[in-house]
Amino acid sequence: MRMSPAKRILLNLVAAVYVVILVFPVVFMFLNAIRSEGEIMSSPVGLPHVVTGENFREIFQESTFMANLRNSFAVSGLTVLLTILVTTPAGYAMSRFRFRGKRLFSTWLLATQAFPGIVMVLGVFMLFRTYGLLNSYLGLVIMHTSFSIPFSVWLLKGFFDRIPVALEEAAMIDGCGRAHALLRIVAPLAVPGLLGVGTFSFLLSWNEFFFALVINRADALFTLPVFLSRFLGVGGMVRWGPLCAAALLATVPALVLFMLGQRYLVSGLTGGAVK
Amino acid sequence: MGGSSPIPAACLSEQRRRFYGPVVRSEESVGNCPMSAAPCSRVSEGRRALPFLVPTILIMGAINLYPFINGMIRSLHSFRILSQDFVYSGLRNFRLLFQDELFWHAFGNSMTWVATCVSAQFVLAMILAMVLNSRELRARRVVRTLVLIPWAMPPVVVALMWRYVLADNGPMNLFLSMLGIGSPPSWLLDPQVALWACILVTVWMNIPFMTVMLLAGLQSVEPSLYEAAAIDGANFLQSTFRITLPVIKKVALVVITLMSIWTFNMFDVVYVLTNGGPGNASLTLPLFAYQNAFFYYQMGYAAAVGILMMACLLVLIFFYIRQVLE
Repeated sequence: MRMSPAKRILLNLVAAVYVVILVFPVVFMFLNAIRSEGEIMSSPVGLPHVVTGENFREIFQESTFMANLRNSFAVSGLTVLLTILVTTPAGYAMSRFRFRGKRLFSTWLLATQAFPGIVMVLGVFMLFRTYGLLNSYLGLVIMHTSFSIPFSVWLLKGFFDRIPVALEEAAMIDGCGRAHALLRIVAPLAVPGLLGVGTFSFLLSWNEFFFALVINRADALFTLPVFLSRFLGVGGMVRWGPLCAAALLATVPALVLFMLGQRYLVSGLTGGAVK
Repeated sequence: MGGSSPIPAACLSEQRRRFYGPVVRSEESVGNCPMSAAPCSRVSEGRRALPFLVPTILIMGAINLYPFINGMIRSLHSFRILSQDFVYSGLRNFRLLFQDELFWHAFGNSMTWVATCVSAQFVLAMILAMVLNSRELRARRVVRTLVLIPWAMPPVVVALMWRYVLADNGPMNLFLSMLGIGSPPSWLLDPQVALWACILVTVWMNIPFMTVMLLAGLQSVEPSLYEAAAIDGANFLQSTFRITLPVIKKVALVVITLMSIWTFNMFDVVYVLTNGGPGNASLTLPLFAYQNAFFYYQMGYAAAVGILMMACLLVLIFFYIRQVLE
C-alpha cells in the first residue's frame, strides 16, 4: 500500500518541523557558547562572526566548573555502579523466586514513583546529618540509587524473564551455586539489560536537581545542574556566553551516553519497566 | 517461574526431611536447590530469595520508606524556629493549608499544568510516533535519533535554554515578529503567560519519552489489520480510531498515568524558568512546598503539602500499579 505523493511530502514535512522544533534550542546553545558576549547581546539570533573560546576559558578558570564537572561524573558513575550491584540480584530474585510479600514488594517499588520529593527531603536531610552524609558524594549517590532502583529492578526482571531457566539449572546440576550461576551464566546474557540500567541511572543521576540542590550545600560539592542554576542567580543580568558554554559541556556527556545506550534503554523500558 | 525438571530436587529434599526428621541444611544444599519447583514451600523459597533482595530492601528502607514515614509524621508537627524543634500540632497544618489562598492558587496551577502538559504531550507525541512509524519517512534513523535529544538533556539546561529562547528580545519573539505578530507576549514576565510558558517547555522536554513508548505500541499493531481495513474502504481517521488506538490503549494509559505523576511532582523546570513568578503566577505545588520548607522554615507545613500531593496521586498510582502487575 503506497501513499500518494502529496501525502508523502506532507509526512516528511511534518517530520522536518518536529526535528526543527526539538533541536533548535540546542543549536542556540552551541552557537552562543562560541560567540562573544557582545555578539549575543547585539544579535540574539545569528551565526558567530568570530569564533571564540573565551566563554570556555572563563568557566574553566574563573568558576568552580571543573570541580562540579568532576562531582557530576563521580556521583553519576558511582550511582551506576551501585545501582547495578544492587538491582541485578533483586531483579533476578523477582524473576526466579516466589516468596511471600512479593506483590507487596512490587507495589511498594512501583508506588515510590509517586512519592513527592518534598515529603522525603526532610527525613533524608536529618538522616544524612546524623550519619555525616550531608555535603558528601556518598549521600547523593545513595539518594540517586534509591531513585533508580524501582525502574531498574523492573527492567532487569523483564530481561531475566526472557532468559531460559534451563541454563541455570544445568549449571546448578553441575554443582554451581545459585549466586555463581547468576554471575557466570545469567548476568552475561543480560548485558543489554545491564546497559539499559546503566544508561538510565547515569542520566537520572547526571540530570537530577532537587536533592542535589538540597543535600550538598557547598560550592565545591555542587553537581552541574546546581552549578548552572546558581549561575543564573548571581546578579541581575544573565551572562549567556559562559552559561551556554557550561550548559553545553553539561549536556554533551549525557547526550553521548544517551546516543550509545538509547537502544538498550528503550528496549528495556518497552520490554518490562513500563510495558 | 516455571522450572522444567520433572522432579524438583528441592522437593525431594523436603520429603526426605519429613521422613528422617530435620537435617542441618548446609550452605551447599541451599545453593544447589534448583529453580522453580512450584510445589516447593514458599517459605523456603522466600529464604533463598532474601539474600538477593537484602541490598535493595536496605537502601529503599533507609532512603525511601523511612523518610516517607518521617515526612508523614512531620506533617502533624509544627517547626518552631526559635527553639529549633518540632511540636506535635495534630491536623493544624492541614487546617491552615485549606485556608491558605496561596495553596489553592498553587493547586489550581498544578491541575492546569498537569492536564495541559499531559494532553498536549500525548497528542503531539502520538502524531510524531505515527510519522516515525511510517515506511514513507525519509532518513528515518536520523530523524528518530534527533527527535530524542530533549530526553537526554538535563532539565535545568532545558529550562536555561528556553529562558534564552523566550526572553523579551529572544529568538522566539524575533521569530513571531517576523511572522508579523506585532506585540509578542513577554513570556516569562507576564503573569498571564508565565504558566503557559512553563507548560510549553515541559511539553517540549517530554515529547521524546512519550513518543518512544507510543512508537513501541504502534509497532505491535499487525500491518495486516490496516490492509484489511483499507480493502474494506476505511479512511485514515477510521483506521486510526478503530485499529490504532484500541491496540495501543494499554501502553497509552500506562504512559499517560506515569507522565501525569511525574509532571505533577516536577520541580526543576519551573524553578529555573520562572521560580513560580512573576509574583506567584506560575507557582505549582512542588515549588510552594519547597519555598515553605527552605525559605520560611515551615517544614511541617511543607510536609503537609507533600502529603496532600500524594493523596491527589493516589488514584493514579493505584491504576498504574494494577496495570503493570496485571
